[in-house]
Amino acid sequence: MQIFKTSSAEETEQIGARLAQTLQGTEVVALFGSLGAGKTAFTRGFAAALGVEDGVSSPTFALVHEYAGRVPVYHFDMYRVTSWDDLYTTGFFDYMDNGIMIIEWSENIVDFLPENRIDVTIDHVSENERTIRIEGAEI
Amino acid sequence: MKILAIDTSASPVSAALVEDGRLLGEFYLNIRTTHSQTLMPLVSALLETTGTAVSDIDLFAVNAGPGSFTGVRIGVASVKGMSMPLDKPCAQVSTLEAMAYSMPYRHGIVCAVMDARCKQVYNALFRLTDGQVERITEDRAIPVEMLAGELGEMKEPVYLTGDGAELCYEQLHEMENVVLTPVNIRFQHAYGTAVAAARMAEENRLCSSDALMPVYLRLPQAERELKARLANKKHQ
Repeated sequence: MQIFKTSSAEETEQIGARLAQTLQGTEVVALFGSLGAGKTAFTRGFAAALGVEDGVSSPTFALVHEYAGRVPVYHFDMYRVTSWDDLYTTGFFDYMDNGIMIIEWSENIVDFLPENRIDVTIDHVSENERTIRIEGAEI
Repeated sequence: MKILAIDTSASPVSAALVEDGRLLGEFYLNIRTTHSQTLMPLVSALLETTGTAVSDIDLFAVNAGPGSFTGVRIGVASVKGMSMPLDKPCAQVSTLEAMAYSMPYRHGIVCAVMDARCKQVYNALFRLTDGQVERITEDRAIPVEMLAGELGEMKEPVYLTGDGAELCYEQLHEMENVVLTPVNIRFQHAYGTAVAAARMAEENRLCSSDALMPVYLRLPQAERELKARLANKKHQ
Protein backbone atom coordinates (compact mmCIF):
# COMPACT_ATOMS: atom_id res chain seq x y z
CA MET A 1 0.00 0.00 0.00
CA GLN A 2 1.23 3.49 -0.86
CA ILE A 3 -0.06 6.82 0.44
CA PHE A 4 0.46 10.13 -1.36
CA LYS A 5 -0.35 13.68 -0.31
CA THR A 6 -1.34 16.14 -3.02
CA SER A 7 -2.08 19.84 -2.71
CA SER A 8 -3.76 20.60 -6.05
CA ALA A 9 -5.91 18.96 -8.72
CA GLU A 10 -2.84 18.92 -10.99
CA GLU A 11 -0.88 16.88 -8.45
CA THR A 12 -3.80 14.45 -8.17
CA GLU A 13 -3.77 14.11 -11.97
CA GLN A 14 -0.05 13.31 -11.81
CA ILE A 15 -0.62 10.43 -9.40
CA GLY A 16 -3.29 9.12 -11.78
CA ALA A 17 -0.79 9.34 -14.63
CA ARG A 18 1.86 7.46 -12.65
CA LEU A 19 -0.55 4.64 -11.86
CA ALA A 20 -1.63 4.41 -15.52
CA GLN A 21 1.98 4.01 -16.62
CA THR A 22 2.30 0.78 -14.60
CA LEU A 23 -0.67 -0.98 -16.28
CA GLN A 24 -0.75 -3.67 -18.96
CA GLY A 25 -4.19 -3.17 -20.50
CA THR A 26 -6.94 -5.14 -18.73
CA GLU A 27 -6.74 -3.94 -15.12
CA VAL A 28 -9.68 -2.86 -12.99
CA VAL A 29 -9.08 0.33 -10.98
CA ALA A 30 -11.69 1.01 -8.30
CA LEU A 31 -11.94 4.62 -7.09
CA PHE A 32 -13.32 5.41 -3.64
CA GLY A 33 -13.98 8.89 -2.29
CA SER A 34 -16.82 11.31 -1.66
CA LEU A 35 -18.17 14.11 -3.89
CA GLY A 36 -15.45 16.53 -4.91
CA ALA A 37 -12.64 14.30 -3.65
CA GLY A 38 -10.90 14.41 -7.01
CA LYS A 39 -11.84 11.11 -8.65
CA THR A 40 -12.42 12.78 -12.01
CA ALA A 41 -9.15 14.76 -11.78
CA PHE A 42 -7.35 11.49 -11.01
CA THR A 43 -9.02 9.85 -14.01
CA ARG A 44 -8.12 12.81 -16.26
CA GLY A 45 -4.40 12.34 -15.58
CA PHE A 46 -4.80 8.56 -15.72
CA ALA A 47 -6.47 8.60 -19.15
CA ALA A 48 -4.06 11.17 -20.62
CA ALA A 49 -1.12 8.95 -19.67
CA LEU A 50 -2.77 6.13 -21.62
CA GLY A 51 -2.90 8.27 -24.74
CA VAL A 52 -6.52 9.40 -24.45
CA GLU A 53 -6.98 12.73 -26.21
CA ASP A 54 -10.73 13.13 -25.65
CA GLY A 55 -12.01 15.25 -22.81
CA VAL A 56 -12.58 13.24 -19.63
CA SER A 57 -15.71 13.90 -17.60
CA SER A 58 -17.74 11.92 -15.07
CA PRO A 59 -20.17 9.60 -16.84
CA THR A 60 -22.79 10.20 -14.14
CA PHE A 61 -25.65 10.00 -16.62
CA ALA A 62 -24.13 7.92 -19.42
CA LEU A 63 -22.77 5.43 -16.80
CA VAL A 64 -19.72 4.67 -18.93
CA HIS A 65 -17.48 6.66 -21.24
CA GLU A 66 -15.27 4.75 -23.64
CA TYR A 67 -11.98 6.39 -24.53
CA ALA A 68 -9.61 5.27 -27.27
CA GLY A 69 -6.11 5.34 -25.83
CA ARG A 70 -3.22 3.03 -26.60
CA VAL A 71 -5.56 0.50 -25.00
CA PRO A 72 -9.33 1.00 -24.59
CA VAL A 73 -10.18 2.83 -21.36
CA TYR A 74 -13.64 2.38 -19.85
CA HIS A 75 -14.58 5.09 -17.35
CA PHE A 76 -17.55 4.11 -15.18
CA ASP A 77 -19.52 6.12 -12.67
CA MET A 78 -21.54 3.94 -10.30
CA TYR A 79 -23.21 6.82 -8.43
CA ARG A 80 -26.66 5.84 -9.69
CA VAL A 81 -26.00 2.09 -9.81
CA THR A 82 -27.40 0.50 -6.69
CA SER A 83 -28.63 -2.99 -7.62
CA TRP A 84 -27.30 -6.08 -9.35
CA ASP A 85 -29.72 -5.53 -12.24
CA ASP A 86 -28.46 -1.96 -12.67
CA LEU A 87 -24.90 -3.19 -12.80
CA TYR A 88 -25.56 -6.09 -15.16
CA THR A 89 -27.54 -3.91 -17.57
CA THR A 90 -24.72 -1.37 -17.88
CA GLY A 91 -22.88 -4.22 -19.64
CA PHE A 92 -20.24 -3.90 -16.90
CA PHE A 93 -19.16 -7.55 -17.09
CA ASP A 94 -18.88 -7.42 -20.88
CA TYR A 95 -16.19 -4.76 -20.58
CA MET A 96 -13.98 -6.86 -18.32
CA ASP A 97 -10.75 -8.16 -19.88
CA ASN A 98 -11.31 -6.00 -22.97
CA GLY A 99 -9.57 -2.88 -21.71
CA ILE A 100 -8.69 -0.91 -18.60
CA MET A 101 -11.66 -0.16 -16.37
CA ILE A 102 -11.59 2.80 -13.99
CA ILE A 103 -14.63 3.05 -11.75
CA GLU A 104 -15.88 6.06 -9.80
CA TRP A 105 -18.18 5.39 -6.82
CA SER A 106 -16.89 1.85 -6.46
CA GLU A 107 -18.43 1.94 -2.96
CA ASN A 108 -21.74 1.09 -4.63
CA ILE A 109 -20.61 -2.15 -6.27
CA VAL A 110 -17.76 -3.28 -4.04
CA ASP A 111 -19.13 -6.81 -3.57
CA PHE A 112 -19.13 -7.42 -7.31
CA LEU A 113 -15.69 -6.14 -8.17
CA PRO A 114 -13.06 -8.74 -9.06
CA GLU A 115 -10.64 -9.58 -6.25
CA ASN A 116 -7.73 -8.92 -8.55
CA ARG A 117 -8.00 -5.12 -8.77
CA ILE A 118 -6.37 -1.86 -7.79
CA ASP A 119 -8.08 0.25 -5.11
CA VAL A 120 -7.54 4.00 -5.06
CA THR A 121 -9.02 5.88 -2.11
CA ILE A 122 -9.01 9.67 -2.19
CA ASP A 123 -9.72 11.58 1.04
CA HIS A 124 -10.30 15.27 1.66
CA VAL A 125 -7.74 16.88 3.99
CA SER A 126 -8.46 20.54 3.32
CA GLU A 127 -9.85 22.55 0.43
CA ASN A 128 -6.93 21.72 -1.86
CA GLU A 129 -5.13 18.89 -0.06
CA ARG A 130 -5.91 15.22 -0.52
CA THR A 131 -4.47 11.91 0.57
CA ILE A 132 -4.48 9.18 -2.07
CA ARG A 133 -4.09 5.58 -0.98
CA ILE A 134 -3.23 2.99 -3.61
CA GLU A 135 -3.57 -0.75 -2.92
CA GLY A 136 -2.84 -3.52 -5.41
CA ALA A 137 -0.20 -1.68 -7.48
CA GLU A 138 3.23 -0.10 -6.99
CA ILE A 139 3.72 3.22 -8.73
CA MET B 1 -36.12 -27.21 -43.46
CA LYS B 2 -33.32 -24.63 -43.54
CA ILE B 3 -32.30 -23.19 -40.19
CA LEU B 4 -30.10 -20.13 -39.75
CA ALA B 5 -28.71 -20.12 -36.21
CA ILE B 6 -26.55 -17.53 -34.50
CA ASP B 7 -24.68 -17.32 -31.22
CA THR B 8 -23.42 -14.10 -29.64
CA SER B 9 -23.99 -15.06 -26.02
CA ALA B 10 -20.37 -14.75 -24.83
CA SER B 11 -16.95 -13.97 -26.23
CA PRO B 12 -17.21 -16.02 -29.49
CA VAL B 13 -19.63 -15.23 -32.32
CA SER B 14 -20.91 -17.77 -34.84
CA ALA B 15 -23.52 -18.36 -37.52
CA ALA B 16 -24.56 -21.75 -38.90
CA LEU B 17 -26.78 -22.90 -41.72
CA VAL B 18 -28.33 -26.34 -41.21
CA GLU B 19 -30.70 -28.17 -43.53
CA ASP B 20 -32.50 -31.31 -42.30
CA GLY B 21 -29.79 -32.06 -39.77
CA ARG B 22 -26.92 -31.46 -42.17
CA LEU B 23 -24.49 -28.62 -41.49
CA LEU B 24 -24.19 -26.67 -44.74
CA GLY B 25 -21.87 -24.03 -43.34
CA GLU B 26 -20.70 -22.44 -40.13
CA PHE B 27 -18.59 -19.36 -39.51
CA TYR B 28 -17.02 -18.81 -36.09
CA LEU B 29 -14.83 -16.06 -34.64
CA ASN B 30 -13.35 -15.75 -31.18
CA ILE B 31 -11.36 -12.55 -31.32
CA ARG B 32 -12.88 -10.31 -28.66
CA THR B 33 -14.46 -7.83 -31.02
CA THR B 34 -17.90 -6.36 -30.59
CA HIS B 35 -20.50 -8.73 -31.97
CA SER B 36 -22.40 -5.76 -33.38
CA GLN B 37 -19.53 -5.36 -35.85
CA THR B 38 -18.86 -9.02 -36.71
CA LEU B 39 -22.21 -10.82 -36.65
CA MET B 40 -23.86 -9.43 -39.79
CA PRO B 41 -20.75 -9.73 -42.01
CA LEU B 42 -20.53 -13.35 -40.81
CA VAL B 43 -24.19 -14.06 -41.62
CA SER B 44 -24.01 -12.33 -44.95
CA ALA B 45 -20.84 -14.22 -45.97
CA LEU B 46 -22.42 -17.51 -44.88
CA LEU B 47 -25.52 -16.92 -46.99
CA GLU B 48 -23.48 -15.73 -49.95
CA THR B 49 -20.97 -18.60 -49.95
CA THR B 50 -23.69 -21.22 -49.55
CA GLY B 51 -25.79 -19.58 -52.28
CA THR B 52 -28.70 -19.05 -49.92
CA ALA B 53 -31.16 -16.15 -50.00
CA VAL B 54 -32.40 -14.95 -46.64
CA SER B 55 -35.93 -15.70 -47.88
CA ASP B 56 -34.90 -19.40 -48.22
CA ILE B 57 -34.56 -19.63 -44.44
CA ASP B 58 -37.48 -21.44 -42.77
CA LEU B 59 -36.46 -20.94 -39.18
CA PHE B 60 -34.25 -18.40 -37.39
CA ALA B 61 -32.61 -19.62 -34.18
CA VAL B 62 -30.65 -17.72 -31.56
CA ASN B 63 -29.01 -18.40 -28.23
CA ALA B 64 -31.26 -16.07 -26.25
CA GLY B 65 -29.47 -16.53 -22.93
CA PRO B 66 -28.11 -16.97 -20.45
CA GLY B 67 -25.09 -14.95 -21.42
CA SER B 68 -23.53 -11.54 -21.64
CA PHE B 69 -26.01 -8.67 -21.41
CA THR B 70 -25.03 -6.93 -24.63
CA GLY B 71 -24.18 -10.14 -26.50
CA VAL B 72 -27.60 -11.66 -25.97
CA ARG B 73 -29.34 -8.42 -26.99
CA ILE B 74 -27.33 -8.21 -30.20
CA GLY B 75 -28.23 -11.80 -31.14
CA VAL B 76 -31.91 -11.52 -30.30
CA ALA B 77 -32.31 -8.13 -32.00
CA SER B 78 -30.58 -9.39 -35.15
CA VAL B 79 -32.77 -12.48 -35.43
CA LYS B 80 -35.88 -10.37 -34.82
CA GLY B 81 -34.75 -8.06 -37.60
CA MET B 82 -34.16 -10.86 -40.08
CA SER B 83 -37.28 -12.91 -39.33
CA MET B 84 -39.86 -10.17 -38.88
CA PRO B 85 -40.11 -8.88 -42.48
CA LEU B 86 -40.28 -12.49 -43.76
CA ASP B 87 -42.79 -13.49 -41.10
CA LYS B 88 -40.77 -16.63 -40.30
CA PRO B 89 -40.75 -18.43 -36.93
CA CYS B 90 -37.95 -18.11 -34.38
CA ALA B 91 -36.42 -20.50 -31.88
CA GLN B 92 -35.48 -18.95 -28.55
CA VAL B 93 -32.75 -21.41 -27.63
CA SER B 94 -31.09 -21.77 -24.24
CA THR B 95 -27.35 -21.22 -24.67
CA LEU B 96 -26.69 -24.11 -22.28
CA GLU B 97 -28.99 -26.46 -24.19
CA ALA B 98 -27.26 -25.53 -27.46
CA MET B 99 -23.96 -26.62 -25.89
CA ALA B 100 -25.41 -30.03 -25.01
CA TYR B 101 -26.72 -30.48 -28.56
CA SER B 102 -23.30 -29.94 -30.06
CA MET B 103 -21.89 -33.09 -28.42
CA PRO B 104 -24.58 -35.81 -28.66
CA TYR B 105 -22.05 -38.54 -29.51
CA ARG B 106 -21.13 -38.80 -25.83
CA HIS B 107 -22.83 -40.91 -23.18
CA GLY B 108 -23.26 -39.45 -19.74
CA ILE B 109 -23.94 -36.04 -18.25
CA VAL B 110 -23.20 -32.77 -20.01
CA CYS B 111 -22.55 -30.04 -17.50
CA ALA B 112 -22.78 -26.79 -19.48
CA VAL B 113 -21.24 -23.91 -17.53
CA MET B 114 -20.78 -20.26 -18.39
CA ASP B 115 -18.75 -17.90 -16.24
CA ALA B 116 -21.22 -15.40 -14.73
CA ARG B 117 -18.43 -13.64 -12.76
CA CYS B 118 -18.38 -13.18 -9.00
CA LYS B 119 -17.62 -16.95 -8.57
CA GLN B 120 -21.03 -17.81 -10.00
CA VAL B 121 -21.86 -19.79 -13.11
CA TYR B 122 -24.82 -20.21 -15.40
CA ASN B 123 -25.43 -23.92 -15.56
CA ALA B 124 -27.74 -26.71 -16.65
CA LEU B 125 -27.26 -30.48 -16.69
CA PHE B 126 -28.30 -32.78 -19.53
CA ARG B 127 -28.19 -36.55 -19.94
CA LEU B 128 -26.97 -37.92 -23.26
CA THR B 129 -28.13 -41.39 -24.29
CA ASP B 130 -27.89 -42.81 -27.82
CA GLY B 131 -27.74 -39.37 -29.39
CA GLN B 132 -30.73 -38.11 -27.38
CA VAL B 133 -30.47 -35.05 -25.14
CA GLU B 134 -32.56 -35.04 -21.99
CA ARG B 135 -32.66 -32.01 -19.71
CA ILE B 136 -32.02 -32.78 -16.01
CA THR B 137 -32.09 -29.28 -14.49
CA GLU B 138 -33.49 -25.90 -15.49
CA ASP B 139 -31.06 -23.17 -16.54
CA ARG B 140 -29.86 -21.59 -13.31
CA ALA B 141 -27.24 -19.29 -11.81
CA ILE B 142 -25.36 -20.94 -8.94
CA PRO B 143 -22.09 -20.56 -7.05
CA VAL B 144 -19.25 -22.67 -8.47
CA GLU B 145 -18.83 -24.41 -5.11
CA MET B 146 -22.44 -25.52 -4.97
CA LEU B 147 -22.25 -26.96 -8.48
CA ALA B 148 -19.01 -28.75 -7.64
CA GLY B 149 -20.76 -30.33 -4.65
CA GLU B 150 -23.63 -31.54 -6.83
CA LEU B 151 -21.34 -33.05 -9.45
CA GLY B 152 -19.26 -34.69 -6.76
CA GLU B 153 -22.15 -37.05 -6.06
CA MET B 154 -22.54 -38.23 -9.63
CA LYS B 155 -21.32 -41.64 -10.75
CA GLU B 156 -21.76 -41.25 -14.52
CA PRO B 157 -19.17 -39.58 -16.75
CA VAL B 158 -19.59 -35.78 -16.52
CA TYR B 159 -18.46 -33.63 -19.44
CA LEU B 160 -17.70 -30.05 -18.45
CA THR B 161 -18.25 -27.69 -21.35
CA GLY B 162 -18.51 -23.92 -21.82
CA ASP B 163 -16.38 -20.94 -20.83
CA GLY B 164 -16.93 -21.73 -17.13
CA ALA B 165 -15.78 -25.36 -17.51
CA GLU B 166 -12.21 -24.69 -16.48
CA LEU B 167 -13.37 -22.78 -13.41
CA CYS B 168 -15.33 -25.86 -12.27
CA TYR B 169 -12.65 -28.30 -13.30
CA GLU B 170 -10.21 -26.62 -10.91
CA GLN B 171 -12.40 -27.85 -8.07
CA LEU B 172 -13.21 -31.27 -9.54
CA HIS B 173 -10.15 -32.55 -11.39
CA GLU B 174 -9.48 -35.21 -8.79
CA MET B 175 -12.69 -36.98 -9.75
CA GLU B 176 -12.09 -39.65 -12.36
CA ASN B 177 -15.52 -39.36 -13.97
CA VAL B 178 -15.22 -35.61 -14.64
CA VAL B 179 -13.86 -34.73 -18.07
CA LEU B 180 -12.95 -31.27 -19.31
CA THR B 181 -14.16 -31.02 -22.92
CA PRO B 182 -11.28 -30.36 -25.34
CA VAL B 183 -10.83 -26.69 -26.11
CA ASN B 184 -11.79 -26.98 -29.79
CA ILE B 185 -15.34 -28.00 -28.90
CA ARG B 186 -15.64 -26.42 -25.45
CA PHE B 187 -17.39 -23.16 -26.35
CA GLN B 188 -20.91 -22.64 -27.62
CA HIS B 189 -21.36 -22.38 -31.35
CA ALA B 190 -24.31 -21.94 -33.63
CA TYR B 191 -24.45 -25.52 -34.92
CA GLY B 192 -25.66 -26.66 -31.50
CA THR B 193 -28.22 -23.85 -31.53
CA ALA B 194 -29.57 -25.09 -34.87
CA VAL B 195 -29.86 -28.70 -33.69
CA ALA B 196 -31.64 -27.60 -30.50
CA ALA B 197 -33.95 -25.45 -32.64
CA ALA B 198 -34.83 -28.41 -34.88
CA ARG B 199 -35.91 -30.34 -31.80
CA MET B 200 -37.95 -27.34 -30.62
CA ALA B 201 -39.65 -27.23 -34.03
CA GLU B 202 -40.64 -30.92 -33.67
CA GLU B 203 -42.09 -30.16 -30.25
CA ASN B 204 -43.97 -27.03 -31.39
CA ARG B 205 -41.93 -24.77 -29.15
CA LEU B 206 -41.14 -22.05 -31.71
CA CYS B 207 -42.22 -18.43 -31.33
CA SER B 208 -42.89 -15.39 -33.50
CA SER B 209 -40.25 -12.71 -33.99
CA ASP B 210 -42.48 -10.50 -31.84
CA ALA B 211 -42.40 -12.89 -28.91
CA LEU B 212 -38.67 -13.63 -29.11
CA MET B 213 -36.98 -12.22 -25.98
CA PRO B 214 -33.59 -12.27 -24.25
CA VAL B 215 -33.50 -14.59 -21.24
CA TYR B 216 -31.50 -13.35 -18.29
CA LEU B 217 -30.86 -15.27 -15.09
CA ARG B 218 -30.34 -13.38 -11.84
CA LEU B 219 -27.51 -14.35 -9.57
CA PRO B 220 -28.66 -15.55 -6.14
CA GLN B 221 -26.19 -13.08 -4.70
CA ALA B 222 -28.23 -10.32 -6.37
CA GLU B 223 -30.94 -10.66 -3.77
CA ARG B 224 -28.65 -8.83 -1.42
CA GLU B 225 -28.50 -5.09 -1.37
CA LEU B 226 -25.49 -4.04 -3.41
CA LYS B 227 -24.64 -0.83 -1.75
CA ALA B 228 -21.78 -1.06 0.71
CA ARG B 229 -22.61 0.53 4.00
CA LEU B 230 -20.50 3.64 3.88
CA ALA B 231 -20.59 4.08 7.65
CA ASN B 232 -18.86 0.74 8.10
CA LYS B 233 -16.15 1.41 5.60
CA LYS B 234 -12.82 1.90 7.22
CA HIS B 235 -11.75 4.63 4.84
CA GLN B 236 -14.63 6.95 5.64
